[in-house]
Amino acid sequence: MKRRLGFLALFGLAVAYPVAAHHSTTMFDHAKVISIAGTVKEVHWTNPHVAIFVYGSLAAGGEPAMWLMEMTSPGNLVRAGGWTRSVVKPGDKVTVDFAPLRDGKKGGALKKITLVESGKFYTADIRAQERANLEEEAPAKPAAK
Amino acid sequence: MRHLALLVLISTSVWAAEPAKEKPVINPAPSAQDWANLAKLPDWSGVWNPKITDQDMQAKTNMPPWNEKAAALVRYQLAEEKAGRPPPLFVNCLPEAMPAWMLVTHNAMEILFTPGRVTLLGESDGNRLRRIYTDGRPHPDDPDPTFHGHSIGHWEGDTLVVDTIGVVPQAYIAISEAAGVPNNGDMRITERIHLASKDILHVDLEITAPQVLTKPWKTTRIYFRQRARKFDIVEGVCLEGYFGPGTDKDGNAIFVPVQHDVGGNRVPPK
Repeated sequence: MKRRLGFLALFGLAVAYPVAAHHSTTMFDHAKVISIAGTVKEVHWTNPHVAIFVYGSLAAGGEPAMWLMEMTSPGNLVRAGGWTRSVVKPGDKVTVDFAPLRDGKKGGALKKITLVESGKFYTADIRAQERANLEEEAPAKPAAK
Repeated sequence: MRHLALLVLISTSVWAAEPAKEKPVINPAPSAQDWANLAKLPDWSGVWNPKITDQDMQAKTNMPPWNEKAAALVRYQLAEEKAGRPPPLFVNCLPEAMPAWMLVTHNAMEILFTPGRVTLLGESDGNRLRRIYTDGRPHPDDPDPTFHGHSIGHWEGDTLVVDTIGVVPQAYIAISEAAGVPNNGDMRITERIHLASKDILHVDLEITAPQVLTKPWKTTRIYFRQRARKFDIVEGVCLEGYFGPGTDKDGNAIFVPVQHDVGGNRVPPK
């Protein structure tokens, strides 16, 4: 709690909390995928959408900043990407590939997050679960490099 | 004495004038045979995930027969979505409701059989549910409008045929999470739910909505079965995202409302 309050105090009103029910994702430019490298500051493992705050710099360069990465629901992430609520934690060094917001704000739809230390990566494509008996036919390999 | 007689007379006539009390309808307790009969139904156990790519495709290839006004709204919504400004149809955390649940959900559901009823349980909107009565009852004459309406069903072989009325007029007939029109009342939804193959469930819908459609609209929605335990349905409380963890003055853990924008979207740091 202290950590979260501190976080909110630090960024104040500039940071709105993750909120969104079921919405289209065309506010993100899915034709583009860009990358940042940085440190995970917050993981919000909540319905309806999971969010991860990453403080880092774009691969293309520029000043480090706080970025908000949005994903689908916890249930869908577990099914589609082999996530649990603790695979990515505050403090982890990561690289993130994401489709950026069209309006230029520092946010995106997470496509892939890679833990620098272990090389493990996780994706967030809900359309990847469109096959019956996923687990029996092809064991999920979310953590494979 | 005469007064007493008069009083008795009046009370008796009042008593006689009262309408006969309607006999309450009792839902009978299921018998052992009722439970045994469930085993004869098709196996719909497991977790069912929607085929979202087919939803995406049908948004382009199977447009409902909108009336002029509805068509204009959908054209506008699609243009806005294409421009990166998706209209926020489902961002208030009210249920997606019927028929949008079946049409555009991105979340899993499970299906339970009990005597006289089929229950659909979804993973979002606070774990939405539909009760489909299969005990032979009719619809109420004037059902209270609800998000999922009043549903009655019967089995035709291995197909569950469901009829739904009494949906709130605000419920969208949605073709995507960003395009759809409120049904505006008088909607009727019929569904034929059946296995298309061992682990593929089809929901054939026919939607009649005279306020917004020029004729009934037909579409089939597809679901995939998962049996691995890791895919079990989890809690999905939509409003969770409107609160953050906090502590009150006594140190109790509480939910604290948090700011959000009118579109319901996350606002990234500046």
